[in-house]
Amino acid sequence: MNLLVFTKRVPATQEEELRIVDEGRAVDLSKVPFKVNDWDNYAVEEAVRIVEKTSGTVTAISIGDAESDEVLRRAIAMGAKDGFLIEIDQILHDPGARATVIQNFLKKENVPFDAIFTGVQSEDDQFGAMGGILAAKLGLPFVSMVIGIDAFESDHVIARRELEGGLQERVKVMLPCVISIQTGINEPRYVSIMGVRKASKVERKFFKGKEYEDNLNPGIEVVKWVYPARKGGATMLTGEMDGICKDLIGILKEKGVYQ
Amino acid sequence: MSYTLVVAEVRRGVFEERNLDSIGIAALLQKSIVLLMPDGAYEMKGNLVNIAIKATVQEEIFLNPLNFITILEKVMTSRGKPDVIVFTHSSSGAELASYVAGHFDMPLITDVSGFDKETNVFYKSYYSDKIFGEFRQAGSGPCVVTVRSGSFKEHAVEKGPAETVALEDITLAEGRSFIEYVEEEKGEIDITKAEFLLSVGRGIGNKDEIDDYQELAGLLRATLSGSRPVIDKMWLPKAQQVGTSGKTVKPKVYLAMGISGAFQHIAGMKDSDCIIAVNKDPEAPIFQYAHYGVIGDANKLRDKLKDIVKG
Ligand SMILES: Cc1cc2nc3c(=O)[nH]c(=O)nc-3n(C[C@H](O)[C@H](O)[C@H](O)COP(=O)(O)OP(=O)(O)OC[C@H]3O[C@@H](n4cnc5c(N)ncnc54)[C@H](O)[C@@H]3O)c2cc1C
Repeated sequence: MNLLVFTKRVPATQEEELRIVDEGRAVDLSKVPFKVNDWDNYAVEEAVRIVEKTSGTVTAISIGDAESDEVLRRAIAMGAKDGFLIEIDQILHDPGARATVIQNFLKKENVPFDAIFTGVQSEDDQFGAMGGILAAKLGLPFVSMVIGIDAFESDHVIARRELEGGLQERVKVMLPCVISIQTGINEPRYVSIMGVRKASKVERKFFKGKEYEDNLNPGIEVVKWVYPARKGGATMLTGEMDGICKDLIGILKEKGVYQ
Repeated sequence: MSYTLVVAEVRRGVFEERNLDSIGIAALLQKSIVLLMPDGAYEMKGNLVNIAIKATVQEEIFLNPLNFITILEKVMTSRGKPDVIVFTHSSSGAELASYVAGHFDMPLITDVSGFDKETNVFYKSYYSDKIFGEFRQAGSGPCVVTVRSGSFKEHAVEKGPAETVALEDITLAEGRSFIEYVEEEKGEIDITKAEFLLSVGRGIGNKDEIDDYQELAGLLRATLSGSRPVIDKMWLPKAQQVGTSGKTVKPKVYLAMGISGAFQHIAGMKDSDCIIAVNKDPEAPIFQYAHYGVIGDANKLRDKLKDIVKG
């Protein structure tokens, strides 16, 4: 079983103040640390677990700048056999354009696979669309938001996908197919710095994105970046920690949930 | 005819509330609105649009992207291509939308929460709502959007009786098939009944912190709940997850500690009477929804609160 898993290097913006620069044309990420996309971490883990149980290999693929090699090394440290980096020098905001590059890449390089794993979405652009677009372009069955794989056979997968409010849908999907993985499906293994260092010795293959740009017609364009409209409702409790806590308890009492 | 196609979501016979957002953006686009839905809850909602197309298949078949392509092809044969196809930004909405965009090579913008009629730009969240992108379609032809629930509800209109069209004879695809719906296991604690929820997020750091939050919850007579990462990491049971894929809660007080305020979380708690947020990042989106906010370390605040309450 040959499994491909897409993994992306994303900015960790949760605790960062983000600045729009260049009159709305860019967001300054120069001081932001980068990490592996949370959803992809689960996808890599799931793919690795499947080949550990059956047999075969996992190949991690990333599309991005040269630094994305870092997430490939991480995937190898988790158990992927090798890593491919499709190097692009521009950010493709259109998930359709990214899928086109990948589709061309898989075809031109004749990459064999039985299933492709992606994360449900990436933390930065939150499109949640790559897996689906790619599957359709490749003419393959697709299942998204997968929260459980109950069986992985030579010709099909039985998967549970998450719907809203705790409801799941169990489906049978024929291979080859594309599967997008939701967080919580497993507990991704811990990766030590030593492990990543060891993984650096495994050869990664680098490809120039330019080679795979035929039919690349971005369907959407960014006009500009803007800050969210401020609703500004919150009253901030400020001062010393002691005072803040007393104010907070005052609010709880006033709301009648604490005496 | 120029029209906007709204793909309705029906779950176990119920016309989902979030469809009103899809109809809302369609109303803003000012095109004639065609509603496409599976058999089932149809009779109730035809009056929100001009034309309702009922695919005479069950909802499970309808929410399978492979079959949906066939259904959409039929719609386009009978009514021409729509200008915009609208889905909700939900599990199945996002799944169908991406597959449709890939199959028909249509541009796609997801998680749209605003639309400007003057400039034709769609607003889309980036970086968990810290920045928004204004997007425009680059070429011409139909485009696909998914809309964030709660964003366009106010534009929904009652249009009166719709013309109804039935789509029959759909040949089903073989690549993916529905087996069953699976209900989540019930937990011991019902967070939907609690009047006071103490909710923790990834910001609390690690699993070892949970015991201290549990203790604080005990002292304050609050019930502990959490955001998705906390449940994914198994720091708390699944039944205690707040959000779109967890529970919708409406307590008197929702005290959120170390939670950023991603919309899937907000959707599950925004109707709480009083929201108090503690976060060390002053830019955390949750402050936009909170009534009271504290900028600081949640764990330190927790320890201090414990000391004070213990006396
Ligand atoms: C289909 C789908 C369904 C989803 N369903 C849900 C759902 O039901 N519920 C849900 O919650 N999420 C859901 N999510 C995930 C959601 O998108 C977010 O990833 C998640 O809500 C983030 O959780 P968080 O705020 O705890 O973590 P993060 O976004 O990582 O935020 C952590 C916050 O803690 C702050 N922080 C860090 N350290 C401290 C400290 N010492 N003191 C105080 N603050 C600190 C940071 O500034 C940050 O704001 C879903 C996603 C998808 C794609």
